[in-house]
Formats: sequence, C-alpha cells, structure tokens
Amino acid sequence: MQTPTSDGQHKVLLLDYTMPSQVVMFGNLAVSVEDAIPDLPEIAFSANLCLEELITNTIQHGLSNAPDHAIRICISRSANCLEIEVRDDAPAFDPFNSVATPDIDASVDERAVGGLGVHLVRTLMDEAWATYDGTGNLITLKKTLKQ
Amino acid sequence: MSFEFHLDTNGGVQHLTLMGRLDSATFITLEKTINGLFSSAGDRVLIDFSALSYISSAGLRLILVAAKRARQVGGRLILCGLSTSVRDVFEISGFLKIMETADSKADAERALQA
Repeated sequence: MQTPTSDGQHKVLLLDYTMPSQVVMFGNLAVSVEDAIPDLPEIAFSANLCLEELITNTIQHGLSNAPDHAIRICISRSANCLEIEVRDDAPAFDPFNSVATPDIDASVDERAVGGLGVHLVRTLMDEAWATYDGTGNLITLKKTLKQ
Repeated sequence: MSFEFHLDTNGGVQHLTLMGRLDSATFITLEKTINGLFSSAGDRVLIDFSALSYISSAGLRLILVAAKRARQVGGRLILCGLSTSVRDVFEISGFLKIMETADSKADAERALQA
C-alpha cells in the first residue's frame, strides 16, 4: 500500500502487526520487524529495542500487566524515512514527557538502576512523540534513512 | 530466538556466557545468577556477549547490578565480545564509561589473570 507523505514522497506500509499485551511476545515481534526491513539490520535492531522499551512501559504501567489487550505496530517506509507507529488502548500516557532523563555520567555507585528505556528511544530515533485520542495512545517514531 | 546462559569457572575466573535475546521477558532467568556472581574481594568475572544478539534496558539493569556488586565487594568484572549493535546500546547508556570491556574473550582472560 502506498500513501503520499506531507513532503510529497510515497510511503509504503511494510508491517501491520498486532500483539497481545505480553512481554513474552517480543521475540516474535522482533522476527517480523527484521523480515519487514531485511536490508536494514542495524535499524531493525534499534526499532526492536525502541518497541520493546515503549510497549513494556505500556504493559506494566498503562495496562497494569493485563495480558489481554491488543497492541498494534505499523512500520512504513519512504525514500528517506522509516516510520513506526504503536497503538494501544491504555489510559493517556506520554512517556516522552513523563520520564526523567537518567544521569549517564554518574559513577557505578551513583548510577540508578532503571530509567534507561525512554533515553534509548530518544537517542536511537530522530523524532518521537505520543498522542491520545480518547480511546488509546499513539506513539510515532521516525528514523531518517541515509541515502 | 530465546535466551540461554551458562556459568563455569576457569582458572579462578567465573565465565558467564550469554546467548540469544536478553529482554524484558527473559532477564528474569538470569537475575539470581547475576546476584550471586560477587561475594568476596578478589572475585573475578568475565561476561561473554559474543553470542548475545540483543539486549534491552531490562538486561542492562542486570549488568549494572553486577558492576555495582563488583565494586561493593572489591571484585573485578570485564565484559567482552560485544557486537556493534549491543556496544552501541552500552555506549548510549553511558555504561562504557563505568564498565571495563575487552574486544575478545582471550583479551578479557589475560586482563583478569594479570
């Protein structure tokens, strides 16, 4: 399926995947992401890491570990951008405005255990934001592809 | 791919070998082993990442716990065999500044025997 993007380029949907809200499903999701962009293994690694971090947040904090919710992941690609969308039916939550940035210059003793997930997403992706439409959250990630 | 690990001792050094995906589903199987790695001063541990294809923050937390335990008891921890992608995750997390790494297992063994 091709749809025009705001900058006039065509965007191709490469993956439309729905997973139950269970962390044991990340291995299966990872294989589907790798298969969707076989020519971009390093970006597939980053995409899988970001998906796991964000969806784990949703499952643990947004859904209180309820295993029977559906989370939908779409990946599309234009000539110069990979776009990842994650939809859930959890209460409104914006991870990009809710989580403190970890102090990555702290010593081993001072370093907090945790808080790294959103920092990884912000660093690995070029754009990341979340919106809420009254029924669930939509997280959008964009990664610029080098020509 | 799932996650597996094994722990053995060679020349007084504990070798922890990680294989597959260390993520928010699989980290729990490793937690007890990580907590038991360092018990007294002089304990030496090598963690071999060469067969680890993927790590997320759930796995990073365990590695940080191991590094903290090493410091607390006066032990030494060296990580080796990190793939480019796994190394990038460690770099972004700031872990390469606070943890000792070696390119190969042989380099890590030499450093721990020195």
